[in-house]
Amino acid sequence: MEPLLKVENVTKRFGGLMALAEVSFEVRPGEILGLIGPNGAGKTTMFNCIAGVYKPTSGDITFAGKDGVVRTNGLKPEKMTGLGIARTFQNIRLFGALSVLDNVRVARHCRTSSNFFGAVLRTRSQKEEEKAIIEESMRWLEFVGLAKHALDNATSLAYGNQRRLEIARALATGPKLIMLDEPAAGMNPRETRRLVDLIHAILDAGVTVVLIEHDMKLVMHICQRLAVLDHGVLIAEGVPEAVRADPQVIEAYLGRGAAHA
Amino acid sequence: MLAKLKPVLFVLAAAALAYPLMPFSNDYLLHVVTLVLVYMVLAMGLNILPGFCGLLDLGFVGFYGIGAYTSGLLTIHYGMSFWVIVPLACLNGALWGVLLGVPTLRLVGDYFAIVTFGFAELVVLFLTNEIWLTRGPLGLPGIEPVSFDFTWLNPDWYFELIGEVPYFYLAVAMVAFVWLVMRRIEDSRLGRAWFAIREDTLAAASCGVNILRYKVIAFAISAGIGALGGAFYARWSLFLSPDMFKFWESFLVLCMVVLGGLGNIAGALVGAVVLIVLGEGLREILPILGLAPETRFLAYGLIMVLIMRFKPAGFFPAIATASARNPLIKDLKKRLAGYASGEKSGTAA
Ligand SMILES: Nc1ncnc2c1ncn2[C@@H]1O[C@H](COP(=O)(O)OP(=O)(O)O)[C@@H](O)[C@H]1O
Ligand SMILES: [Mg+2]
Repeated sequence: MEPLLKVENVTKRFGGLMALAEVSFEVRPGEILGLIGPNGAGKTTMFNCIAGVYKPTSGDITFAGKDGVVRTNGLKPEKMTGLGIARTFQNIRLFGALSVLDNVRVARHCRTSSNFFGAVLRTRSQKEEEKAIIEESMRWLEFVGLAKHALDNATSLAYGNQRRLEIARALATGPKLIMLDEPAAGMNPRETRRLVDLIHAILDAGVTVVLIEHDMKLVMHICQRLAVLDHGVLIAEGVPEAVRADPQVIEAYLGRGAAHA
Repeated sequence: MLAKLKPVLFVLAAAALAYPLMPFSNDYLLHVVTLVLVYMVLAMGLNILPGFCGLLDLGFVGFYGIGAYTSGLLTIHYGMSFWVIVPLACLNGALWGVLLGVPTLRLVGDYFAIVTFGFAELVVLFLTNEIWLTRGPLGLPGIEPVSFDFTWLNPDWYFELIGEVPYFYLAVAMVAFVWLVMRRIEDSRLGRAWFAIREDTLAAASCGVNILRYKVIAFAISAGIGALGGAFYARWSLFLSPDMFKFWESFLVLCMVVLGGLGNIAGALVGAVVLIVLGEGLREILPILGLAPETRFLAYGLIMVLIMRFKPAGFFPAIATASARNPLIKDLKKRLAGYASGEKSGTAA
């Protein structure tokens, strides 16, 4: 099958620091790929390169998005969102002063078009668009189970719900691929179980998932394939069982965190 | 609480609107109120940048000056009607907003603030030194007042607005217009994009908002509204000089916005009332105390310090409030209320 996202020999340097070194892997449509590795391995940097926040120092990223297969390195984040890549953040980044609904409504920005004149004149197309935005936003809030909090302030949500809101916001951009950066961080076991259900529901909705996660049990449990980074180098890629048995991985990651696994 | 206040506010507004027509109305008072109204427009215009987008703009007065001189010069040299001048002045302000915004909005934080400050100083320098155009420090006297020209309908129908009363009503109309525009923008795709930029720029970009473009749009609209205030001011005061547009004015408008609550439109209006009334009051009181009128700047500074200390978010900190009045959201609220009560009875059953 044609890969959805292809990362080829991507290198990212921050001054003297090599955060990513010649990393290559691919994401296939309809799968959950786990991107794992110890702290500081370069996982978030990889997300940022894919999402257009950083431009890779060298290498190629191609995405089979809404406009066919495109080489995306150097495109801006808003362009990547438009192409169909959505992401959440390791440190929650909600629009704190806005309501839950407004957080999701902002995400419809890239799929809507009314401008200053529409807003001021309240044209019919603008009103219809606003209505559609609310409906679509509520659909995603229901999807993550936050519909009843729609008009509350985003910061009034419990921590786990804030993470779910970030996921709803990402989904509302209408992505083909969603990248979740440590979505279970700070969640209690019950919240984590609900998160696993949510991730499966995302897949069922036809959105491919890339997941950064520290909780090895969770990763082994839900990912079809794993890619393992260590010090910016991709040291293994494959099905969880194979990765778990890989001596390099055990040394770099599982070895140190054996208690986790 | 607001619901109880509503009838009171309504009566106050009606009284204020009727006051100028009363035989006992006072020209000085009307002048001050009209000045308040002009600053309301300016405060609403500036509010877009620090309030909606989180951009510290110290050069807002530059656009006010551009609007005023556009209006003044077009009146003196071409005798244009106020009604033609207003859109031209707004467009000219917006144009300079874009010209300043495109190269500088890539800068962040303090650097951006400094550049806008420099821009306002440049405008004053230009107005002072380009004597061929602006008459420099001599100022522009003899600007025609606003008029309605219906002579194409009836040769006698030419009305000039003289005195304070008509300008009061004109200013009220201008405030109402800008208020409506701002409220509608606040509850729209454009307004939400701005708020997103203010709250978290990276997350906004991840939602597909083109940050630079939306900042430039904000700058253009803010500048256009500043220029609108200027265009009115020129035809009301009938005299312009460069020192009316010194940095100090930017700071004053910024104080209004901060005092009211960054991003809150009603707050901007309240800020304008409080600071202009205070300024006029101090202008009367300070000489009695044997102090120079300029010492009122100290009082403004003191107020800013006190706000920052006791009410750092201003008096009305809520943002994006306009959408609560949108029928679509009211509808949703009802739906959610039904949903919640249905859920409760559901679990009880
Ligand atoms: N913007 C940046 N500037 C400099 N160094 C960075 C930047 N972002 C990340 N790094 C460095 O790159 C390395 C990888 O970081 P990161 O991708 O956040 O790791 P992970 O998400 O796997 O824990 C770390 O050493 C980090 O300090
Ligand atoms: Mg990380």
